[in-house]
Formats: sequence, C-alpha cells, structure tokens
Amino acid sequence: MNWSKSMLFASAAALALSAAAAHAENMPKRIGYVTNYATHEWYQNVIKGMQARAKELGIELEVQDANLDIAKEVSAAEDFMAKGVDVLIVTPVNEEGVVPLLRQAKSNNVPVVLEGNPVKGMTTMVAICDYDTGYTAGAEAGKYAKEKLEGKAKVMNVGLPLLSATVLRSQGFMDGLKTIIPDAVMVHDLDGGGNPDRALEVSSAALAKNADINIIYGINDSSSLGGLQAWKAAGKSQDSLLTVGTGGEGLAFINAMQNEPSYRIEAAMFPEKEGYTAIDAAVKLFNGEEVPEHIVSPTAPMNGDDWKKFYDYDGTTRTIKWDAVNALQPPEKCMKTSADLKK
Amino acid sequence: MDMSELTQSSAPSRFIGGQLLGSSQLVLGVILAVLCIAISIAAPQFYSEANIIAILRQCALVLIVASGMTMLIITAEVDLSVGASLAFVGCIGMAVLNSTHSLTLGLLAALAFSGAVGLFNGLVVTRLKVNSLIATIGTMMMLQGGVYLFTREAVQNHHRLASFTDLGAGYIGAIPLPVVIAALIFALAAATLRFTTLGRYLYAVGANERAVRLSGVRSERLKLFAFVVTGLCVGVAGMILSSLMNAGQPTAGRGFELTVIAAVILGGTSLLGGRGSLLGTLLGVLVLKVIDNGIIILGWNQDLQMVVPGIVIILATYLDIVRNRANVG
Amino acid sequence: MSVDFLHPGETVAIDKSVPALEMRGIGKRFPGVVALDNVDLTLEPGKIHALMGENGAGKSTLIKIMAGVYGKDAGTVRLRGREADIKSPRDSLKEGIKVVFQEIALIAEFSVAENIFLEGYPTGKGGSIDWKKIRADAAALFKRIGFNVDPAARTGSLPVSQQQMVEIARALAHEARVVVMDEPTSSLTPNEVSLLFTVIRRLAALGIAVLYVSHKLDEVFEIADTVTVLRDGRHVSTRPIGEHTNDTLIQDMIGRRIENLFPRKRGAPGSKVALSVEGLSTAKKLKDVSFEAHAGEVLGFFGLMGAGRTELAKAIVGYDPITSGTIAVDGSRLLPHDTHTGVRLGIGLLTEDRKSEGLMGELPVYQNASLASLSAFARMGFVDKASERKAVQDYVDRFRIRTPSLFQQVKNLSGGNQQKVLISRWLMRGLKVIVVDEPTRGIDVGAKSEIFALIDRLAGEGLAVVMMTSEMPELLGLADRIAVICEGRLTAIMPRDKATQENILNAAIG
Repeated sequence: MNWSKSMLFASAAALALSAAAAHAENMPKRIGYVTNYATHEWYQNVIKGMQARAKELGIELEVQDANLDIAKEVSAAEDFMAKGVDVLIVTPVNEEGVVPLLRQAKSNNVPVVLEGNPVKGMTTMVAICDYDTGYTAGAEAGKYAKEKLEGKAKVMNVGLPLLSATVLRSQGFMDGLKTIIPDAVMVHDLDGGGNPDRALEVSSAALAKNADINIIYGINDSSSLGGLQAWKAAGKSQDSLLTVGTGGEGLAFINAMQNEPSYRIEAAMFPEKEGYTAIDAAVKLFNGEEVPEHIVSPTAPMNGDDWKKFYDYDGTTRTIKWDAVNALQPPEKCMKTSADLKK
Repeated sequence: MDMSELTQSSAPSRFIGGQLLGSSQLVLGVILAVLCIAISIAAPQFYSEANIIAILRQCALVLIVASGMTMLIITAEVDLSVGASLAFVGCIGMAVLNSTHSLTLGLLAALAFSGAVGLFNGLVVTRLKVNSLIATIGTMMMLQGGVYLFTREAVQNHHRLASFTDLGAGYIGAIPLPVVIAALIFALAAATLRFTTLGRYLYAVGANERAVRLSGVRSERLKLFAFVVTGLCVGVAGMILSSLMNAGQPTAGRGFELTVIAAVILGGTSLLGGRGSLLGTLLGVLVLKVIDNGIIILGWNQDLQMVVPGIVIILATYLDIVRNRANVG
Repeated sequence: MSVDFLHPGETVAIDKSVPALEMRGIGKRFPGVVALDNVDLTLEPGKIHALMGENGAGKSTLIKIMAGVYGKDAGTVRLRGREADIKSPRDSLKEGIKVVFQEIALIAEFSVAENIFLEGYPTGKGGSIDWKKIRADAAALFKRIGFNVDPAARTGSLPVSQQQMVEIARALAHEARVVVMDEPTSSLTPNEVSLLFTVIRRLAALGIAVLYVSHKLDEVFEIADTVTVLRDGRHVSTRPIGEHTNDTLIQDMIGRRIENLFPRKRGAPGSKVALSVEGLSTAKKLKDVSFEAHAGEVLGFFGLMGAGRTELAKAIVGYDPITSGTIAVDGSRLLPHDTHTGVRLGIGLLTEDRKSEGLMGELPVYQNASLASLSAFARMGFVDKASERKAVQDYVDRFRIRTPSLFQQVKNLSGGNQQKVLISRWLMRGLKVIVVDEPTRGIDVGAKSEIFALIDRLAGEGLAVVMMTSEMPELLGLADRIAVICEGRLTAIMPRDKATQENILNAAIG
C-alpha cells in the first residue's frame, strides 16, 4: 500500500470513528474476517455464525482464508484495510506474525477483534474457555459415572499435548470429574494427534496394554471417536463405558450420540456462537465501547439428547437454535488459561 | 580395472537359496526379534493376545497398500498419492454406501475410484513421461484438495450395515478380518512376483526398462499395471479404514504414504527398481508397527514414534550396506 | 628445473638419459584378488610407450596407482631417478604426471581456458583473477600442440575429441613430464584419431614421456615406440614395437595363439529375402534407406561416427519411430512400428550399449537370457523354472559362457560373456533377422573371435544377420555383403569380394 492511499484510509477510518462517537448506535458497514483454516469444520461454523449475525445487523462480511500461512494472513488483512473495512476480525495463524499486523491496523485506525487465540498488544479476543469446557463436561461425566458406572472413573485421555488449548481441556476434564469422584484416575494419557486414524491407532495399542478403563475422553470429536472405534475394534461392549467428546463442530458427534450407546456427553463449544459473538464485539469496538480483553464465548456439556435443544438436524445439515445458545450465560473469565500452564 | 572375472567366484550370490532371504531381510528379522524381546521384557503386556491383534490390525492397512507399492517400486516407480487417495476413497465408499445400502456397490465404487487414480498416475508417468515422484505429488495435491470439494466434513455412517462394520472390526476365527484380507493380498502379490511371468517382467522392467522394450515386451503396460494394482490396494485399505473409523474421514491418511514407502524401502526393495521382495516388505511393516506400538506400551513420549522409525530406517540400510560389503570382501 | 611450455622460445631442458618414470615390482591386492603382481614399467622421456592387455589384465590399476587414485602394496616408483611417494591425485600432479582418463574430467559449464587453469588461476592485483591472461595463456598452449579451439568456448559444447585436447593442454599447463592416455580413441572418428596422434607425437617431441593405454592393435603399431603387455596382473613382455607382429602381440595378451580371428564355417547365403527395408527415413537422421538382407547372410553396415548406424539398427527393429518407409520381415510388414511386433515377426537387436539397453545387471544370468522367451516357459502365467533353467544351461554350455552359476548377477560377468548371454536371449526366442550393433565393443581380443564365430554360426543356421560396425577388419572378415552409410543415407552396397578398404572409406566419407 502506498503512502497516499494509506493516508486516505487512515483519514477515512478516523472520520468513521468520529461519526461513531456522535451516533452510538452506528453499525459498521463492512467487516473483514481472515480465518486460519477454512477447511476445518470448526471455522466453517464460525463463519456461518458470523454470517448469520452480520446479516441480522445489516453488515457486509467478507472472509479470506489464510490456510495456515502467516504470510497469506498478513496480506489478506492488508487487502481488507486497503479496501476500507471498518473492523477486522482475525484468527491468528501464529502470535509472532500477527503482532506487526496489529500495529499496522492501529496506525490505520482499524479496530481488530481476534478470534480463538490471544496475541500481545491486542484490544480484545473472543474465545471459549478450554479449561472450563473440559471442567463442566468432567463434572457431568462424574455425575453419570456415579449413577451408571458404580462411581468408578478410569479415564483414557485421547489428547493432544502439542497445544495448550487441548492440554487445558484434558486437565479441566479431570479436575471437573474429581469434584464428583475424587479418586478418578487417568489410566492412559495419549497423543492422538487430533485426527481420527492416529487416535484409533494409539488407542488400540493403549487398550491392548490395559483395557481397564470406563471413560474415554477426547479433546475433539475425532479423538473421542477414534478412541471409541478402538474400543469397538477390540471387541468390547459399550455397556459400562462412557465416551465424552469435545467441540461438537460437525455432524460426527450427532451421529455418534444417535448410534453409539456409550457416547453420552459432548462438551459443545458452539463455533457458530463464537462467530456471532465476534461480530458483536466488532460492533462494540467500532462504536468505541469498552470491552474486556477476553470476551468469553459460552460452552456447555450436552447430555444424551440435550443436543436437540441447541441444534436442528435434518440428516445432512445442522442448524443452530440461536435462542437456546444465546440464553447460555458465559463466565466472566476463564478458570485457567494457557498463561497458567506456563507457571 | 575390471575385476569382475576375478571376483565372481568369491562373491556369494544373493540369489542362491532364492530371493527368500536376502541380506536385508536377515538384518530386519534380527532387528524385529530384538525389538520384540526387548519390549516384552520391559512390558509383558506387549505379547498379550489383545496387543498382538491390535498390532496386526494396524499392520494390515499398511501391508495391503505396501503389497502394491512393492510391485510398483520394483518397476522403479513410486506413488506418493496413496495417503490422500486413502482418505478420498473412504469418503466416496461411505457416500455410496449411504445412498445404496449395498456393501458390494460401496466396495466397487471405492475400487473404481482408487483404480482410476492409479490408472491416472500410470498414464501420466508412462504416456506424458512425467517422473513418478513429481506426477504423484501432483495427484496427491489434487486429491487432498479434491476431497474437500467432495465433502467438507466426515461422511457419517447412515446405512448401519453390519457387514460394513465387520470389514474393519470383524473376525474370522480368532483373526481380525482386515488381517485376513491383508494376508490374502500379500500372498497373491508375493506369488505373482515370485512365480509368474508377470512378476518376472516387473523385476525386469525395473532392472532395465530399455532392455525389456527391446525384447519385445510392452514395458509401459507393466508399469501401468503396477500403478493400477497399487490404486486398488488403496481402495481396499480405504474401505477398511473407514469401517474402523465408522466414517469417511477427509482428514485421514496424513503421512500414510510415507509409512508405506518407508516399510517397503526398509524391507530392502530398491528405489532404483529391479530388486526387492514382499517378504522384506512384511518385515518392514512389522518393524515399524512394533516400534509404534512398543512406544505406547512402554509409555514413552509419543513424539518418539516419528524419531525411532527414522533411526531404524537409516540403521537398517546401513547394516545392509555393511553386510554386502563384507560379502564381497 | 622447471620447463616452461608457455613460452616456446625458451629452451626445453629435459635430461633424456634418466627415465621419466620407473616402476619396479609394483604389487596391488584387492580383497580376495591380486590385481598386480611384481609389475615393472619404465617410461623414457620423448618416447611413446604402449600398455596393452585384455580387460582385467591390470592396466587400469597400474595407471590409477600412477595417478594416485590407488595406493600400491609393494614396489617402488622413481621419477626422474628420484624415489617418489605418490599418495593422492594431488601428489601425482605435483610430480608431473597427468592421466587423461576415458571419462573426461572437465567441468562442462566452464570455459575451455578456465578448465585448463582450474588448479591455479593466474591472479592480478589484489588476488583478482586475470581473465585476459588466462585466455591468452590457453591460446598459447593450443598453438604449441597444434590445436585450434576458442579458449572462451563452453567446454561442454565441444565434442569428446576436443575435450581430450583440452585435457592434454591442461597437462602441459601443469608442466607434466609424463602423460598417460587411457583408451583415448574409443569414441573418436578416424579424422579425430589422426589429429590426436599428431598431438601425441608433438608431446613426445617436447620431451614428454607418453604412456598410451589401448587394446587396439593397429593404433599401437602406428604410434608406439615400445609395448608393454600385462596379463592377469603380471608383466608379460616389454619390447620395441618393431619386434612385434599382430600374432605375437595377441599371443602375449591372451597367452595362446589364435589361428584365425574370423573362422568361416557357414556356407553360401541363400536367396530368400528375410528383411526388406524400403525408403526408410527418421526425423533426425535417416533419409530414404532401402536394402534387403537374405537368410543365411551377414550384411555388414559400415559408417563413421554419427553416420546413422545405430539409428538404423534401432529403427528397423521398431525401437525408434520412423517418419516414412516400410520394413518387412519374411514378407510381413512391421506394423504397428514397435518392438513388440518386431520380436513377434522375428527381428531383434543386439545392442551396442549392453549396460543401458541390454543387461539387467542386478538380475541373475538365467533371467537375463530368458527375458525375450519367458512366455515359452510359462504355464497358465506361471514360470516353469526348471525347464527355463535347463534351456539356459544349454546355451551356457554350447556357447561356453563362463559364469560360476546361472544365479550369478550378470553384471559380474566379463564383456564377452555378457554378450554371449545377450545373444542367447535372442536365440532362445528364435529370430529370423538379428541386427547386431558393434558386437565386439568393449570385448577382449580373445573373446572377440568367439563372438565372430557365433555370428558366423547364426548366419549358418539361416538367420539374416545385419551387422553395424565401425571396425574395418570386423567388417571385411565377417560380411557377405557390405553396405555403407554416410550422414543417414545409404551410399554404397557391394559384395565382399568387390570391397576394398579404400572404396568403403570413400563411400563412408560421401
């Protein structure tokens, strides 16, 4: 972007901001979203939620995919600024790459909402609480175990130690579980790579080593399903087993809850709602309102057929029920974050 | 100077005793035995029935594709698209099963698709003369992107056919069905390579394609055959994998091609073509999967699941070289 | 004292009374093999010394010891009367020994002048390379050996013959006292050979000792002053060339007498046309070639390098595509034009390039022999290995193929035995026409006569043999009729009794 252009946009943005100050109810005209990896179901649904909320508010939303490439992310964001979007929403590919982007947006007076992951120097971020999501699902699993599994909880964690978010989920799950069943143990702590075939493979080996478990926890649906498929492939009955998945981003968990007797709890993260919340945050920033650094997007454990409260499912697509999801009260802040892991 | 005439009497032939136990197989056999014994001592659960079945089931998928890949690499070509194809095949097979509720049609669709991928690879390599490494990387990328055009998310099992579930989780006697299927494909491929004219031509075309062509044999067709067979093997493995996962997963099969090729190379098959055996491939698969399994059984850091096989491949190849050198000397 | 070849005006002072190089009692072992045993060799300044012997005689090992590629296990090397310890190629160069190997060791992407001064560029002020001086020096060197090439030319763009000259010029730039030429004429045309000989004689005139390694008798008689013959790693004889005849040299090399290099046992060729070629043209080389070959006949094709012999051979068997013309074997057209059809009709090629087009080096002898006839040993697609091996063993016995077993990897056989395996491949298939391209390339003198006898026998059994060759004696010794090609055209075809070396060469030059 050349100098005169950037001046032009900077002044246009300044003008827009001053206009917003005068009329607090002003809506931004255009929002640009640079997503991290549009192929993934999670982001598919985030985008769906954004589109729904933007349409409701009469905002024009444009989406670009960085496809896990930080250079692409930066250039897509620069394009958006050059086109004169009022607010940017960014899912950071990585922290280091996004810091200069934030600086640049600041100098162009374009407010930025981050989705998913925090970056130093950010104004605000919309994200779920991974630990809390695991924690509430753990507590729910504890209740289930007390009632149906003779109060025993031996867990196979199909995890992903690479990412702090997924480590927090597993920790939260165990901590929540222990509030109900204090002597719950983690028998296997596995790296399932977050993908189904790897999860299946490592779970098979782990179960061969020791099959004395009664709860499978997966940090995402691919992991819990991989673990469950390994259990089935080992020829075991699901009678005294509980499978708990996390995310609920696609159709797989609905299918599993309908057909797998042990798949009883899903720690839903409502990606649609996260997109919805991100648009709301963008509007607030545009209007110069004060926002917390971390805006929490709600999550909830769905027990048995609970999912029907939140989703309509016609066999090929699911549709979120906004009233039910919007009624969920997110916590003010997370019980534990990745910053706590480093301590 | 040309010492051949002088050395030939002192160099024991690799072919004495047939191709049954080449030097690399011997090295691998020893590695495998040492691994099994060491892991068993450290963790007796290793040789439990459940674990052996788990290992065999994991071997089955790799072995099925590696059987085709061994033939292909013997002809001095390679197919890097098998991992991407594996995922795509599962999605297509599952989609067809959902709409037809017929296992036969689902399997046929999977085989037709994967066979077509093999045929495409083969035609690109033999007709357009594109190096197979490059051609199949191209196919891999097309398939990895293409599967998302086909489906954004995992294709779920809506048909609930019991026979489909058996494909991955069923047993014949005490042996898992995938292992039986793998054993059949392995035996078929091994017999083809060892006893048939076709097998002999496959070795020949890898050893010297021009000589084969000059002898009046249509070398392109042989390569085409090997590509299609590899594709069909992927079809079978893809359906078993989707049965095991109870879904057609577009994200499955990442790095699968590397595992398969690593097993084949580890088994002593030369990337230059003309040399190799399926027995070696079987040992290669077993070694890689035993390592994979052993690391979990021992409760080691799972990142080692990548590190250790890397070391083993280098080590085994080196030991093979050392052994060959000792033989000549 | 140093000799400055760059400045022809100055005196060249080489003491001719002391041998340039003296090797005494050289021994070299490889694991399990004695490659050299007590070998002596003395090179006099200003003399051209030929080193001869069959493959495996130890020639290459000896020159590699001179070049510092191998260390020696026994013996002494003296240079200009002083004992020298050559431990590496670098030492060898420093001592003034320059070996020009068969594989040219120049950097193709560099200019000729850069290659010549590769080891030490003349530098100007501040260590910068003085390109002007490099070119001028190179030009001066070329003038000295009577060689005309642009020092700025890219080396890779030159023909092999000129690259050899660059190597020789490089030897001079290094002030070499001993120049070793390893089989230098194997890929040169007759003209290039005579130019090379002129240059070699100039080197000798400059007082340089030349070691000329070859197995070609005529060349050695033409250029050498002295001949040393090695056999099985041992020194057999060192005699002035004048004391040798063809027969005595061959006898020294192979250790026995060959009565007749070209034994003819077959009768007169028949009149049946086995192969007819009409108006054959290819995209690159051949133009309107027509001829016939009869059953029981050896039709010899002669042509200089690049005349189109190999192109013709590959086109008529269906290996390379043609642009026009027809080929018929026993009256059946070769359509479609591919080797599959060719072999089915009964025409096959014995290639000149055994390694890359004939042999499957890693595979055993029996699989190499049966490649073209495998389907004959198949029952329901399975190979009947017993009958296959029996058939191959038959040929191994009949052709006296020296191999420790049928399972030996074919790459371990000598050139002559490899050629016999490839001939067996075709005989097992059963052909009507066999096209042989340079049948004795890379084959020892002793084995050559066996190959000639085999070709004679093939024709005797009723095959039409089409032989491509650049070896005049081979052509005159074997062929019933002689065809000559020049720049892709057939320029003459004549019966053997009408052919003379002179009219063949005239037709070959065009």
